[in-house]
Amino acid sequence: MMGHRRLDNDGIAPFLFLGPLLVLLAAFILYPVAMNLVASFSEWKGYGPMKWIGLANYHAMLGDKSFWISISNTAILACYIPVSTVVTVFVAALLSEGIRGWQVYRAILFIPNLLGPVIIAVVFSIFLRDDGPLNLALKWITGSTRPFLTSPVYAINTVGIVQVVWVHLGFGLIYFLAAMSGIDRSMYEAALIDGAGFWRTLASVTVPSIRFAMEFWVVFSFIEVFARMFSFIYTLTQGGPGYGTFTLEYGIFVQAFVNFHSGYSGAWSTVLFLFCAAISVAQIRLMRRRSL
Amino acid sequence: MKRASAINAPSRVLVQVLLIILVVASLVPLYNVVAASFKSADEFVENTILPPKSLIVDNYVYAAISARLLRYALNSLILVPLGVLFYLAVCISAGYAFGKMRFRAKRLLFLLVLFLMIFPQLLLATQVFRLISLLNLTSTGFGVILTWVAYFAPFGTYIMTTYFTDMPYELVEAARIDGASHARILVSVMTPLAMPMIATIAIIGFQSMWNELPFSLLILQDATSRTLTLGIAMMRGEFGLRVPIQSAALVIAMAVPLVIFLIFQRHVTLGVTAGAIKE
Repeated sequence: MMGHRRLDNDGIAPFLFLGPLLVLLAAFILYPVAMNLVASFSEWKGYGPMKWIGLANYHAMLGDKSFWISISNTAILACYIPVSTVVTVFVAALLSEGIRGWQVYRAILFIPNLLGPVIIAVVFSIFLRDDGPLNLALKWITGSTRPFLTSPVYAINTVGIVQVVWVHLGFGLIYFLAAMSGIDRSMYEAALIDGAGFWRTLASVTVPSIRFAMEFWVVFSFIEVFARMFSFIYTLTQGGPGYGTFTLEYGIFVQAFVNFHSGYSGAWSTVLFLFCAAISVAQIRLMRRRSL
Repeated sequence: MKRASAINAPSRVLVQVLLIILVVASLVPLYNVVAASFKSADEFVENTILPPKSLIVDNYVYAAISARLLRYALNSLILVPLGVLFYLAVCISAGYAFGKMRFRAKRLLFLLVLFLMIFPQLLLATQVFRLISLLNLTSTGFGVILTWVAYFAPFGTYIMTTYFTDMPYELVEAARIDGASHARILVSVMTPLAMPMIATIAIIGFQSMWNELPFSLLILQDATSRTLTLGIAMMRGEFGLRVPIQSAALVIAMAVPLVIFLIFQRHVTLGVTAGAIKE
């Protein structure tokens, strides 16, 4: 009986197994992405009729100061990706030297990831207030305070340091320590016999061996910066002060749910979609290289 | 066995000091929240930094009852586990189809799942919000669970697919020859074998849903239907300047993720590496 059926085909059964996933993806991801594109060519409040207006939303967007600020803010956050990568690999390399208590350090530094962006944002909204604990301590030590959350330039860098560098450190330590534990020990012994110190070993054995993990890490960080910042920014600064921490995600939110310009928000969505699609393709290429 | 270390003894002391500074600095903002949660509003103004003089619990009572934190926690404790069960069912069955079944357009569909994995909630929010309103699911748990599962399932499916792909095909073949259906093979052969990975994606799903904000924010408009994460995010506006109460609310909100970590530390750790490295 089995012989009659072609071995490379299970008929329609697979589609029953995939059914729930495909229906959910079609309704909640594919359709929304497609509809944003349609809406971006129209004037639309998010409900009621759509009026076709061609490229007017895109024209408006290119002349909108907040759009360019959100692009430059995202670029500032992206500058923290190399910082985060260097810091994380360095600390992971230290811990991988068998430092006493390394597992405890790793666990404590992971706590921010566990608590999630909303709790961390409220924690820092208290900690970094103009009259908060850090500023009180700074005033006592240096005589002056810093507007961590109340000046646009400070605020976006606060987001970069806290979320992109500090929160991701704990995540990256687990990730890179796992990668480092897979490195052949004999390579370290050879390096030691050659008289290589910590820095030489890091540069010539560790980093080359975890190159692949580092590429993954960089793509992951880009995803975080472009597509996972909303919760943190919404809770910490609400995009402010002014447009201080406005990002593409935040702009879409404000245009669609504060100003009810869903058509205009669609134009912003197209830009964010293009960035994310490029990152997604980079990630897929890495994943496929891994499965070879 | 530990590998030979390139750091000599005096340097090791220096490294220890460096790491202790890093860890302590990381804990200071959290310490501050715990300390503030036991201070009265007046005491917090006078004594922002040092530990509280006495342990008053009024802030906790206020946060839990008047600020409805207990209610929100209960909402999360019901919605998130239900969401995780739904998510597991979707990811396991789709992962099995991609990993062990043979059909047309498999590669294409799998690439699509990978492609859809990273899009931010805000890119989908306008239409998802409309869809949920059309289905009359605004402010309902089912509405938010649907969006969570749809949004997080691609990643879980990817993990389950790689896991099932790596399992020997003979397991399926032998059962097929015995006349077992794919559903039967999945339930009684593959699922028990995949338990470690299922536990890992359950933790990933739990954390993702527990911390999710944008969809909850748009869908759960009725104040009593909020999740704990949404309640914490909204608290900033509603309770303005009362830091000690916010702090008590934060400590309450931190409890569940920390307990999960203490119990399932191994799976949480595996969850970090499951998505990428496999060397």
